Amino acid sequence: MDFSRNINRLSCYATRQGTGVLTVTGQVGCRAEEVARIAAARLGFHLVTEARLEAAIAEEFAPAIPDKAYRDVLTSVLARLAVERHIVVCADGVESLTAHFPGALRVLIMAPERVRVGQILLEQRCERADAAGQLKEREARRQQLRRRRFGRSAAPLETFDLVLNAESLDAEQMAATIARAAELRGFPEPALLSAEAEAQLQFQLRLRLARHGITPTGAPSLRQKMFAHPSEEIFANLLDYYRIPWEYEPRSFPIEWDAQGRVTLAFTPDFYLPEVDLYVELTTMKQSLVTKKNRKVKRLRELYPGIQIQVFYQKDFENLVFKYGLAERLTPA
Amino acid sequence: MPHEALPPGIERVLFTEEQIAVRIREVGGEINERFAGRPFLKLIGVLKGSVFFLTELSRHIRIPVKIDFLAISSFSSKPGAPGLVRIAKDLDDPIHDEDVLLVEDIVDTGFTLRYLLRTLAGRGPNSLAVCTFLDRTSKRIVQAPVDFRCFEIPDRFVIGYGLDHHQLYRNLPYVAVLKPDSPRS
Repeated sequence: MDFSRNINRLSCYATRQGTGVLTVTGQVGCRAEEVARIAAARLGFHLVTEARLEAAIAEEFAPAIPDKAYRDVLTSVLARLAVERHIVVCADGVESLTAHFPGALRVLIMAPERVRVGQILLEQRCERADAAGQLKEREARRQQLRRRRFGRSAAPLETFDLVLNAESLDAEQMAATIARAAELRGFPEPALLSAEAEAQLQFQLRLRLARHGITPTGAPSLRQKMFAHPSEEIFANLLDYYRIPWEYEPRSFPIEWDAQGRVTLAFTPDFYLPEVDLYVELTTMKQSLVTKKNRKVKRLRELYPGIQIQVFYQKDFENLVFKYGLAERLTPA
Repeated sequence: MPHEALPPGIERVLFTEEQIAVRIREVGGEINERFAGRPFLKLIGVLKGSVFFLTELSRHIRIPVKIDFLAISSFSSKPGAPGLVRIAKDLDDPIHDEDVLLVEDIVDTGFTLRYLLRTLAGRGPNSLAVCTFLDRTSKRIVQAPVDFRCFEIPDRFVIGYGLDHHQLYRNLPYVAVLKPDSPRS
């Protein structure tokens, strides 16, 4: 079977429709994810981060994917996500996959070494000389990984539609530039990747992946959940305001099982902050219900000692929103 | 300080003027040790709360000091409010190749500090450290590095020595706890 011909046929099909896919790639120390997050918010697109992609890959395929199969696995996951929502994808190497997503806008964020060293300096709490060394090490590691997964250590500049300099533009200005470029490009007019196009692409990709012994076990979804309580939406707004990445109820933790080993009780923290690997639970409920929630949190900590969770009670949350200028007090649920 | 002498709305004094003076002197000494031999230290105060603390702290720093200030926008859920944090008042001078000490009045969730550090780190300082007057670690959500702190405080709403309630109380010479029933909106 001629896979490339079929893929090209799919690409021609998708070209007529276009796809709402925007990729943001950045040099080490350029805060590309922050820019992508703001751009996604401006455009009303869904942000897909590297962490989200890794989770989706683990959910649909397996936690560890051979490097040679990574490109196809990534394409498969992106195709599934692009059917549901217009997406801004921020992950290294993703720009090289956009042949399958015609009309995609590809953005690169660069900055002089001095600026990027500054980011390492901040992260590692070290001085410039050490930070410069660490930057070089990270760049080398990333290049090696890219070469193994995508066949080349760096994408040529002409791969990108838009290249931005993080020295002269702050994150918000870069995001605004991206949003404007997307508008000029006709976003968000492009239709979502059609289910038919996605099905064809998945068929071809899965045939290829079968050669690596990889078969999907699930299907990742971007479908949005509604917030269960107004306090959660306020908290999400607060995180957005401070440009802190978050996910809403991304994971349920089984905490009780019956004699047959079936899960009888699970606990789903409200938020996960991937940047700091922290779950946050907001408990703006009556005291009578708090005790039950506390038991769940205690059990979670016992069963999953590696999980970090911060609980905000009614009073904590009122203090938090008060500190940040929220005028209205919340009504207990 | 006797309870009767407190202004309305204040529950109790958390740190007296004397305790604050002693502690700031100690922290000034720690900063002198850390930055000994450097040509100068740039103190960057975050408006408005850090003004009182920065002023007193700078008097106990023995190496040459430069001072600058910045301010950031405040979060509000009201319609029309800015959707993203931004610098409301930027630094007057660049910080490239300088040893910078960011001076805060209070660090709790870490949201503000994280944003400020990310912003300043991109401007090429030689080093970037944080000194806060008050540190409420119990409510930290985003881990933010604090190099020097005067006091760790409990999870109560505090005012005085630069910290406000509706822009009031900043000029109190001590740190006090606001009464829980004080109007908050």
